[in-house]
Amino acid sequence: MKLTAIRPVGIVLVRELSLTMLLLLGVSALVFLILYLSPGDPFSVLLEGQSLSEEARSGIRQAMGIERSWYGQYFHWVSGMVRGDFGASVRTGLPVLSEVLRTGINTLILTLGSLLVTLLIAAPIAIRSAMRGMSKATWSFTILSYVISALPVFWLGYIVIYFFTHKLGLFPLAFGFATGAKKWLYLLLPIFVLGIGNGTISEVIRTLREEMGRVMEEDYIRTARAKGASVWKHAFKEGFLIPVTEIIAAKIPFILGGAVIVEQVFNWPGMGRMAWQAAQDRDYPVIMGIAIVAAVLVRLGSLFQSVVYVMVNPRASKE
Amino acid sequence: MKSYSQQSGEIGEFSDLPFWKKANSVDLAYVTYGLLVVTLVIASYLLGAFKLLPHDPQDIDLELMMAPPLTPKHVLGTDFMGRDMLSRLVVGIQAYFLPGLLAIFIALFLGTILGVLAGYRGGKFDTVITYLTNLIDSFPRLVLILLVIAAFKPDIYVIMLVVGITNVPAVASLVKGKILFLKQKNFIEADIALGLPTGTIILKHILWHNCRSILIIQATLGMAEAILMETSLSYLGFGVQEPTPSWGNMVLAGSNYFMKGQFWPSTAPALAILFTILGFHLLGDGLNNILEGKRDK
Repeated sequence: MKLTAIRPVGIVLVRELSLTMLLLLGVSALVFLILYLSPGDPFSVLLEGQSLSEEARSGIRQAMGIERSWYGQYFHWVSGMVRGDFGASVRTGLPVLSEVLRTGINTLILTLGSLLVTLLIAAPIAIRSAMRGMSKATWSFTILSYVISALPVFWLGYIVIYFFTHKLGLFPLAFGFATGAKKWLYLLLPIFVLGIGNGTISEVIRTLREEMGRVMEEDYIRTARAKGASVWKHAFKEGFLIPVTEIIAAKIPFILGGAVIVEQVFNWPGMGRMAWQAAQDRDYPVIMGIAIVAAVLVRLGSLFQSVVYVMVNPRASKE
Repeated sequence: MKSYSQQSGEIGEFSDLPFWKKANSVDLAYVTYGLLVVTLVIASYLLGAFKLLPHDPQDIDLELMMAPPLTPKHVLGTDFMGRDMLSRLVVGIQAYFLPGLLAIFIALFLGTILGVLAGYRGGKFDTVITYLTNLIDSFPRLVLILLVIAAFKPDIYVIMLVVGITNVPAVASLVKGKILFLKQKNFIEADIALGLPTGTIILKHILWHNCRSILIIQATLGMAEAILMETSLSYLGFGVQEPTPSWGNMVLAGSNYFMKGQFWPSTAPALAILFTILGFHLLGDGLNNILEGKRDK
């Protein structure tokens, strides 16, 4: 790549990275604020049901390294995170960061896999209806996509588990029950369920069709068509690549949210299940860590989108 | 920063025909189905609120468990404890109806204020508001709700407060987009030249005449969101608890029987969720196509 092509990407990368940092600072402040406003502190969970004197309580707080003032607590927490120390789970005592990363890999596989499933279903329908106009087949797909988007994902999970696992015996019953190839086969079910049932399919089809349709009416597409060049090749960047990356960036939060439910249904050892457990136990350090990691993932998605956008359209760096 | 502006204007032709005559028949079908669902939900809510039910939803009848639909006296059958399914479904609406309205109110109220500030005043307001909306959009909604549940008690009104706040960015961006569109048309400039007070311009000319329809559409989509969140959370065990029915916890309670091949106790509430959310989505999208003139060819 020539230098002229790299420079705009560099400019945008620096700008977007600093913005990401600024937003993540806000994210940490918001997470801290929510927990700061809550009645009691993390240690009231630990001390629940034990009648300790005020002196013993403050002793425990001191031993766990908690400052008194709010800014002290916030600074302590943020500087810990920067050093990679997210604290330890109140329930298990394990360090939060390594636990979240361990489960986060599983959630990442689930999330990216189901994004792929959504796109593999939505893109052909959208492209077909944008290029050829709405036919009976695309109409029925559109209606069907509305119905699918309203499906409660947990119920879809039950249907899939019942038919594929109980009736047909194709898949192992749970994640840990199988080894080798079958273990990987088990991954497919939740990925498929979340890909279909994350509630975004109809929106993805609509966005892709609108964008593709808009590009199809541009003059340069007419020129390409007139000289017999491939329309698809000319429309690909603006009509497909940009909207798809925009959708990926915009839908990551939804799919991460859906992952919480799907992981629950499929007993998937991921970050969403951990968040559920932490909310039940009021395990503050864990849920704070997960919220931060999830926000980082969302921000990385939008960073990726801006970089792709500038690579396709270098003028955008001068805005 | 991803600027939060979508083209929310572009009303096709300013013809004098009433909107239902200009509308596409597909959109009218969407809206009709959606209005039917809304009417049913409101009617069922009122029936539940005034206890006008065929059976007591808590009434256990061990003689008649797992009755299929169309059993005499139990139109939609009974669940695994012999409780009347129809009554439980109707009462389940209580779990999300008022909290959902709260979420909508917050989203529309705060979203409109922020949108007007960002679009009408612009400048520093716009920068700060874009930052705030990006901040809220950085969290997966369910993760943020779980965080709030961990911090406070799993109270449905607190949860719906969060749902409302997470819907603010969408409303704000649409209102802002609309105002920027109106500014392009020199519409607001003309108002100012006429010497109208700012309050009249914003409240009457911008919000009432031009933003009414996007706010209605956002309210519809917001209700779908609220139902989805309430049912998901009661499915996860954080919402309404058994024996009080909610569609989410009914699906959960029926799940043990589902794997044994008895589908109905889970399927009935799941279908209720499906058709209700579908109704609100279709109503929102149909109205969007009709009122905002966004029908693709």
